[in-house]
Amino acid sequence: MNQKQKNRIKNPLHKRIARELKQELGKNIAIFIFIAATIGFISGFYVADNSMRAAYDGSFEKYNIEDGNFELDKEISDEVKEKIEEYANIYENFYVEKEIDDQRKVRIFTDRKEVNRVCVIDGKLPDEKNQIALDRLFSQKSNLKIGDMVTLGGTDYKITGMIALPDYSALFSDNNDLMFDATHFGVGIVSEDQFETYKSGKVFYSYSWKIHAEDGRKKSNDLTDEQKEKINEEIKNTLIEENAGIVNFVAEPDNQAIHFTGNDMGSDKSMVTVLLYVIIVILAFIFAITTISTIDKESAVIGTLRASGYTKGEMLRHYMVLPIMVTLIASIVGNILGYTVFKFMVVDMYYNSYSLTTYETLWNADAFIMTTIIPAIVMIIVNLLVLNSRLKLSPLKFLRHDLKKNKNSKALKLPPFSFMMRFKLRIIIQNMPNYIMLFVGILFAGILALFGLMMIPLLNHNGDEIINNMKGNYQYILKMPVEIDNENAEKCIMGSLVNDMKGTRKDEITVYGIEKKSKYFSDIKLMDDAKSVVVSEAVLEKYKLKVGDKIKVKSEFTDTGYEFVIGDSYYYPQGLAIFMNSDRYREVFELDKDFFNAYLSDEKLDEIDEHLILTKITRTDMLKVTSQLNDSFGGMMPMLAGFAVLMSVLIIYLLSKVVIEKNTGAISMVKILGYSDREVSRLYVTATGIAAFLSAVISIPISYYVMKELYYMFMVEFSGWVSYYVKPIVFVQVFALTVVSYVIVAAFLYQKIRKIPMNQALKNVEL
Amino acid sequence: MFLKVENLEKSYKTGDSSVKVLKGISFEVEKGKICVLLGASGSGKSTLLNIIGGIDTADAGTIIIDGDKLEKMNEKATSLYRRNHLGYIFQAYNLIPNLTVKENIEVGAYLSKSPLDIDDLIKTLGLWEHKDKMPNQLSGGQQQRTAIGRAVVKNPDLLLCDEPTGALDYNTSKEILALLEEVNEKYQCTIIMVTHNDALKQMADKVIKLRDGQIRKEYVNEVRTKSQDLDW
Repeated sequence: MNQKQKNRIKNPLHKRIARELKQELGKNIAIFIFIAATIGFISGFYVADNSMRAAYDGSFEKYNIEDGNFELDKEISDEVKEKIEEYANIYENFYVEKEIDDQRKVRIFTDRKEVNRVCVIDGKLPDEKNQIALDRLFSQKSNLKIGDMVTLGGTDYKITGMIALPDYSALFSDNNDLMFDATHFGVGIVSEDQFETYKSGKVFYSYSWKIHAEDGRKKSNDLTDEQKEKINEEIKNTLIEENAGIVNFVAEPDNQAIHFTGNDMGSDKSMVTVLLYVIIVILAFIFAITTISTIDKESAVIGTLRASGYTKGEMLRHYMVLPIMVTLIASIVGNILGYTVFKFMVVDMYYNSYSLTTYETLWNADAFIMTTIIPAIVMIIVNLLVLNSRLKLSPLKFLRHDLKKNKNSKALKLPPFSFMMRFKLRIIIQNMPNYIMLFVGILFAGILALFGLMMIPLLNHNGDEIINNMKGNYQYILKMPVEIDNENAEKCIMGSLVNDMKGTRKDEITVYGIEKKSKYFSDIKLMDDAKSVVVSEAVLEKYKLKVGDKIKVKSEFTDTGYEFVIGDSYYYPQGLAIFMNSDRYREVFELDKDFFNAYLSDEKLDEIDEHLILTKITRTDMLKVTSQLNDSFGGMMPMLAGFAVLMSVLIIYLLSKVVIEKNTGAISMVKILGYSDREVSRLYVTATGIAAFLSAVISIPISYYVMKELYYMFMVEFSGWVSYYVKPIVFVQVFALTVVSYVIVAAFLYQKIRKIPMNQALKNVEL
Repeated sequence: MFLKVENLEKSYKTGDSSVKVLKGISFEVEKGKICVLLGASGSGKSTLLNIIGGIDTADAGTIIIDGDKLEKMNEKATSLYRRNHLGYIFQAYNLIPNLTVKENIEVGAYLSKSPLDIDDLIKTLGLWEHKDKMPNQLSGGQQQRTAIGRAVVKNPDLLLCDEPTGALDYNTSKEILALLEEVNEKYQCTIIMVTHNDALKQMADKVIKLRDGQIRKEYVNEVRTKSQDLDW
């Protein structure tokens, strides 16, 4: 053969790739679909997240989002205004709140022309009385559309447009709420004429500020966070010093209605990235294990090729081509699906949760790297490590089929079980590496399934617990003490402090001053000593404290710090709370000896003048966290559980297939000895069944604790707390998921075993 | 001298004990000759062949092939030596099941800087009408021919055959031996063949009989008998 001819010879081993792909079509298609679907969803997620993130980030400048807002109990005086305007421009952002029904209310503003400008998504802004433009998400959840009539506070309005307010991208009615609530709370814009009509009733005097650029000062966007924070503090101090009647003060970085969306986008992204890489690592190991099985099967061929001069590197590259090829093609297909199909699913998911402004799709190079290049690299590294450990054996060992590293390991002595049971146990012991991988896969699928199945029952349980432990059906927080004559009403004091412990989120903690012999808190054991308080169990869980520890809190507006010893804990599922008796409360916070500012009551207290009520908390308010979380997770959770089932089926199928293939000779031989297909299947399929069953049993408590930690990491980012709870039936469901996966796989395996011919054993001997 | 083996020793450990399988083997083979290593099971003949082939290592002694000392080579150099100089044939044909006859032969050709003409070789092997078949469509003899083709196509200096007819019937065995003779004559490669079939000693230029890891008898046949005339 001349050099020209020689040059024409490409590595003939490459010709095997397509044939191996075809021979293992089932396995390769299953892994391909799984990777493509996972990457498709995640790539779609990255693209949508990136595009929406850009729209969200851009909205700060595009819609000129405020640097903060404060609410006063009256209109701001010229004197205070003048002092604040040394630092920032002040914009009226007055609003009223009108109820659609008992459960839903709308916060109504007039058009904002300078700060927090309105994004009109569809239709137009109202220009006449009795017209309103409503938040798109709230309208969607309330089944309202342009042209519909909506009754707000007894007045009918025609809906002229769908809007998004950039300072309400997450519909928080109160910045201290644990969760936004687009089902029960919305925002709207009316014409100036319409707003004028409200001024005779209750108006909330809210003002936005924007640090100004006058007198040679920089524009607020050019200031550092520290500089802005300093100015925001000056504004707050001015309001306090001037006794402006401050009801609420929220600097823009602390405003959940503005920032929750952005933070959620960030945390979602890291969550799906971790999910992607865990799945790719598991699939890479499965690929590696199935390839090891092929290598073992082709041991003599590899020995011959190595003896003929093929290097270890050439063999390694050859066996790595297929997994990398499948991963790369699946990644590319996944990316195409991501940009074309899944992106819209994720966009819908965001639009169903947040009141976002309009967006444009941005092509994302990072997404391509994270969903194509990195998975391929993970696949290469895992396969390289696993296959190299096998292919580094000498050619002679391959020729002799002597591939066990620990040749001298003695046979494990088994208890005197029946012969069939010992046979099955031997199969499990022989295939231990496969079954360990099976366990890891089932554990991971179990964690996913647990997450998918536990959240809705957890939220419902939390809702039930809140209702069952509610202290009165109504809680009225007053602007000033108002005496009423109603047996049902019990005075109490409510205030709020913020957590001031290092390394923890600055959460609002409700502080209760409770009357001695309280009817509503009859089971609480309040301390009499000066420094001890009772805290809700949520406080202990969230900050990892215990009875006897100290808790540091401070006033949000004055920065006055307080330190209490935790004397006892109290089951109070509403969230983070500190309890003390009312006298202690007045003493600690230096209040008049008869001061109170709230009523707890089982009945509606109509005798209190509406103007004197700061907030009325009902059962619905208590349940809005549950309701919104249910809304946000509701659609995603069954998908996650379904994904976990698919993953279980895939893992159990691929790994048990390896076990069957590895034992083809032995299966053929026991058939020759006279065992029926049914008996053989019982031996080999049941062995996998035992392994799957044990994996499921062991993985349930592990999943529980892993999920507990993950849940803590997830919840700790929220303001407030919902305790970890797994409904017992969920464990049964997670276990059933593995059993169902196994039953599906067992049917395939039975067919596979049936098809193994008896002469297979003889063929292997011939080799 | 093409191949020179001097004082070769090899032991295997089994559990706590050690078994010496080669006890100071020394012999020489000239280029282009056929050398048959005879011996019963456990005599050390396959171990000797594997050490010459660089897929096993000796505890002591020297192997020089065409001037190159084998024991001085590291793993990479040994692999290169096998790639450039050796062809291997085993009792089990060890063909790649999802490559055709021609492609299996190409697997050998790919390794060589100066491979033989593949089509010509396939004709010599008598496999022309089977060249596009998969190994499972071939008889044992045809599979072994393919394995010989894969080893020979590299145009190796040294062809190592470990019981090449061990799994074949009488007639097929004779065909394979004739093919090896033809290859030896046509391509001038040196052949070292391990067998326990005593009759094959007559087709060799040199015969070495091994027992318990030692050479019991070593002689040269002045006249080689054609494999077609052998009987056993």
